[in-house]
Amino acid sequence: MTEPTALRVQRTFNAPAWHVFDALVNPEVMRRWWHAGEDWETPHAEADPRPGGRFRVVMRRPDGEEHAGSGEYTVFDPPRRLAFSWSWDNERVLGQPSQVDITLTERDGVTEVVLPHEGLADAQAAEGHAEGWEVTLGNLARRRSERAHDTAAG
Amino acid sequence: MVNDPFRALAHPIRREIVERLASGPATVGEATGGFGVSKPAISKHLKVLEEEGVVVREVDGRTHRISLHAPALDGATEWIDRQRALWERIFDAVDQYLAEEKEKR
Repeated sequence: MTEPTALRVQRTFNAPAWHVFDALVNPEVMRRWWHAGEDWETPHAEADPRPGGRFRVVMRRPDGEEHAGSGEYTVFDPPRRLAFSWSWDNERVLGQPSQVDITLTERDGVTEVVLPHEGLADAQAAEGHAEGWEVTLGNLARRRSERAHDTAAG
Repeated sequence: MVNDPFRALAHPIRREIVERLASGPATVGEATGGFGVSKPAISKHLKVLEEEGVVVREVDGRTHRISLHAPALDGATEWIDRQRALWERIFDAVDQYLAEEKEKR
């Protein structure tokens, strides 16, 4: 059975797919964008942008705490598809690399980028699994708050 | 063995059981009815959910009631929030970079 998509992020860029793809794998750009927050720093970023190439980033929080992670490009097919494994150095939740599979679709100079993130290393392609973990956890959180509301109201 | 909320959520039937139990405790029959799969298959899914601490079972005579232990899923929620923040941030920076490159040309 195919594993579900843990989460899915989507964005439309006002640029051709080639430009978006290049920005995603350019180590110089990576130093700017591998942040979990606006005020974080990325003191170190390296990438070997080719199939099987590895990348590694070190992110630093404003309080100095560092979070490092690395991955390997499993699919490198510019400018349409970029897939890579990803794991935080001190992963406590998953204990194994997760999989990111980015698809770029260009129409009239505008590129739509879809990023499904699979939680488990042996997960296959995510087709047909829109109802992933995030949906379940979101529904769960909503019902919990509804119940809390009902209890408060009742 | 660490609690693995992702293993608990790795199957659509288990996710549906979790969602049903979000409304409150239920009998095993209520929580697992209508899936169209065999009883042993259901038992296997319940076993995974119990092993990961997501579902707790209470036996009262012949009735087995199960309920959700939602805190067992907190790790998964935190992981997803963190990853989402990272990817959104990356897209923001790519967008910004592309705008700057456009201006240069």
